[in-house]
Amino acid sequence: MNAGATGFGVGAALRRKEDARFLIGKGRYVGDITRPGMLEVAFLRSPVAHARLKRLTKPAGHEQQVFTIDDLPEIKTIRANSALPGFRVSEQPVLARGKIRHVGEAIAACIAGSRAEAEDLAGACELDYEMLPAVSDMTRAHLPGTPLLHEDWSMNAFLETHRNDDVSGLDAIAAAKVTRTLRTSRQCMAPLEGRGVLAEWDPRLEQIIVTTSTQMPHVTKSGLADCLGLDEGQVRIISPDVGGGFGYKGILLPEELVLAQLAIRLGRPVRWLEDRFEQLTAGANCREHHYVITAWADEAGRLLGVECDAIVDAGAYSSYPFGACLEAAQVGSILPGPYALPLLRCHTMSACTNKPPILPYRGVARTGVCYAMETTLDALARQLGISAEAIRLANLVRPEAMPYRNLVGKVFDSGDYPEALRRAVAAIDVPSIRARQAKGEAVGFGLATFCEQGAHGTSVYHAWGIPFVPGFEQAFVRLSPDGILEVRVGVHSHGQGMETSLAQVAHTILGVHPDKVRIVLGDTALTPYSTGTWGSRAAVMAGGAVAEACRQLGDRIASIGAGLLQVTRPDVVVADGFVRRIEGEGSVSIADVARTWYRAPQNLPKGVDKGGLEVTAGYRPDPDTGTHSYAAHAVVARVDLETGAVVLEDFVVVEDGGKLINPMIVDGQVLGGLAQGIGTALYEEMPYDGAGQPLAATLADYLLPGSADVPDVRLEHMETPSPWTTFGQKGIGESGAIGPPAAIVNAINDALASIGAEVTDLPATPERVLAAIAAARAGKA
Amino acid sequence: MSRIDITLTVNGEPRELKVEPRDQLADVLRGPLMLTGTHVGCEHGVCGACTIEIDGAPARSCIAHAGSCDGATIRTIEGFGDDEIMRALREAFTREHALQCGYCTPGMLVVGRDVVRRLPDADEARVREEMSGNLCRCTGYRGIVRAIVSVIVARRHARREGACR
Repeated sequence: MNAGATGFGVGAALRRKEDARFLIGKGRYVGDITRPGMLEVAFLRSPVAHARLKRLTKPAGHEQQVFTIDDLPEIKTIRANSALPGFRVSEQPVLARGKIRHVGEAIAACIAGSRAEAEDLAGACELDYEMLPAVSDMTRAHLPGTPLLHEDWSMNAFLETHRNDDVSGLDAIAAAKVTRTLRTSRQCMAPLEGRGVLAEWDPRLEQIIVTTSTQMPHVTKSGLADCLGLDEGQVRIISPDVGGGFGYKGILLPEELVLAQLAIRLGRPVRWLEDRFEQLTAGANCREHHYVITAWADEAGRLLGVECDAIVDAGAYSSYPFGACLEAAQVGSILPGPYALPLLRCHTMSACTNKPPILPYRGVARTGVCYAMETTLDALARQLGISAEAIRLANLVRPEAMPYRNLVGKVFDSGDYPEALRRAVAAIDVPSIRARQAKGEAVGFGLATFCEQGAHGTSVYHAWGIPFVPGFEQAFVRLSPDGILEVRVGVHSHGQGMETSLAQVAHTILGVHPDKVRIVLGDTALTPYSTGTWGSRAAVMAGGAVAEACRQLGDRIASIGAGLLQVTRPDVVVADGFVRRIEGEGSVSIADVARTWYRAPQNLPKGVDKGGLEVTAGYRPDPDTGTHSYAAHAVVARVDLETGAVVLEDFVVVEDGGKLINPMIVDGQVLGGLAQGIGTALYEEMPYDGAGQPLAATLADYLLPGSADVPDVRLEHMETPSPWTTFGQKGIGESGAIGPPAAIVNAINDALASIGAEVTDLPATPERVLAAIAAARAGKA
Repeated sequence: MSRIDITLTVNGEPRELKVEPRDQLADVLRGPLMLTGTHVGCEHGVCGACTIEIDGAPARSCIAHAGSCDGATIRTIEGFGDDEIMRALREAFTREHALQCGYCTPGMLVVGRDVVRRLPDADEARVREEMSGNLCRCTGYRGIVRAIVSVIVARRHARREGACR
């Protein structure tokens, strides 16, 4: 079979098939869909962070339009458990029951003919509650005497983890030791399309059909069936076009459960569309980390050990399915990064606070951990008087050591980490930056190197014991009577261009033109079970599954084709949309094979596979511990010492995602992630006050990077195939979002090195930069 | 609630509507007129996803009261079928991978077309500045900026060639 690229297959920068509808405004998102008789839902949400809910008085005359948890007793609480020892599981009621645990927590669902009228109802409800002291500082949440969010717990923490390598002897032998206290701010993922749910009951099928903007339709189906006490067959989840996910839509929503139950109860379609205020103040948050980190190195900069105490603010509940600990509990395993680290002592805590629950945002824990490790490395380099490049080269895992098993047991599949770094440095004119610095200019050069585990499967996730452990990814392929190849997968696409890249995979195996490949996604009634799109897994897992299913289908096509050519199976190959004789003349098109199976079965050869031209095949890499893409980011930043403003003069990324299925789409993923990482580095912050009130309620307060804030990034690829995947592809969807905070702050700190100032907290706003400068000057004075 | 009678010309067709005082133009376009290509991103005029043309100029339909638009000429993403600049922009957007999830795309195209028309000599920095009122969470903007710049450059070349003839 043809495995090479023909201009349409794996490796081709094919333009996207899905663009056509988006460019004329014909994408179809949840908010674009209506049903006859549909009612709109607005949620009454808590104005306070921590309180005992005493009474809700419904607006007179509208009692039947307002639903509290007492009106919907059928819905079970959401429990996202974990098998990690010591994990405290939260019971999350879909509407507040007895207690309120964060601002924005839903208390009642209000239903009317329009959203505005539903909001009027929510506004007319009277809420009686007794305030409790709010827990909003994650570093103090666990302390004795702090009010407990979940009163049967012994402390406000979902989980603590420990790794206890002995680092006590390092002080005596190290040439350098640095300790830093670092902080990253709480963020909102802020996809441009908010969440949205449309639920309708089909009395004929006795099925609840929930159209929802989700990254994981099948997980939502199972979770919804569990919580509503329905058979899985009574639930169908449709996820239409999704206006950005980034992790924000990788969750079973309380709102999904409420809407589904309301549709069952009322026998009418109901819809809820999250508005931006809800998204910013009530939707899940992410990435609020606190580190106290110490690192030791010898005189050459080789790391001797790292000690780290990390706290992640996990909010009030454990979200389904990923849980409250995916960030904190990964700190210890991600800290070694791409380096050959000999010793690690690490304590982590997932703090429980009166804030919305966290979700894993693109990069998950890596963005914060990379920031902690990379800024600490630069501090070590400054102390040793060696360059940022030198200290990384002294520690990066060498290409000849691949595959490399690091001290925490992660296995790096392939690559040349030092080469990526060297290329990134070579792309920047470092001497000219040093010359400008010598003239007193506050300009700096910053680096970050990291690797990203992606598409990790069963062997990794079973240890977490979360509600869903990914197994074999499946794809269904069918050759239609007209020769069109239909491919159905359970992952979903929300900007990743899978309608194109998976068609390229199918083309590579079967030679069918991508225009004749129809990719079906986002509907549990039409696609095989999948845990969905998250963890940079789709290109590896769905790509592998589609390839495997096409191979098996190709074999059946070849057998029928051989019969039509009056030769035997070994005499033919499938190539370019035809079954061709290997020797001699003769071919039959795949479309003719399809016609024969469906419309002229009298011509089928004897002994044909009765399964016909439909195949479901599964795929999982072996080993399934995940691919490791990696990158080096190099940044030139200029700091205005008067205003604290930071300008990114240059940004270079050298990235290795293994074999790229569609290089244009991969560039898009890296660049998009990068803009989000720049947001983390310089702009995005959801502050909470001491009462647990969110202080950024609009996009004028919560600053997302715009086109003028993101430089024209220079992107270079290396393509070291993963030895473990179908085409050598690696997961790379999150990579761009990991490195920017580290590289940018390292550049800022390089610019401020002559003053002796260091930025420690993200985002590096003008205020924080000025504070760092002032602190350094005060220290010197 | 009392309703307001308004007449709009939407994508070339006269439309008579009864709207509530609190209805925003985006709600009217997406609801009764079923023009769902206009996307609502923030409902407070920051993200730009809902940008349409009112009387020939880009405007945020999420903060334009429908009742105050009586007599206005409206053009949405569905109304640029034969427009030469829009055709060139759409081609450039797909070539430069200027869209991923597609949610910001209609607003980007409407504003991008205005930039192309208004600023025939804009360079990359100017385009970045002009587009900074439209947020995209997926692409990192490089494709969007390159696409718009490429159309400006192509038109500049065409203009010069025309002048030489």
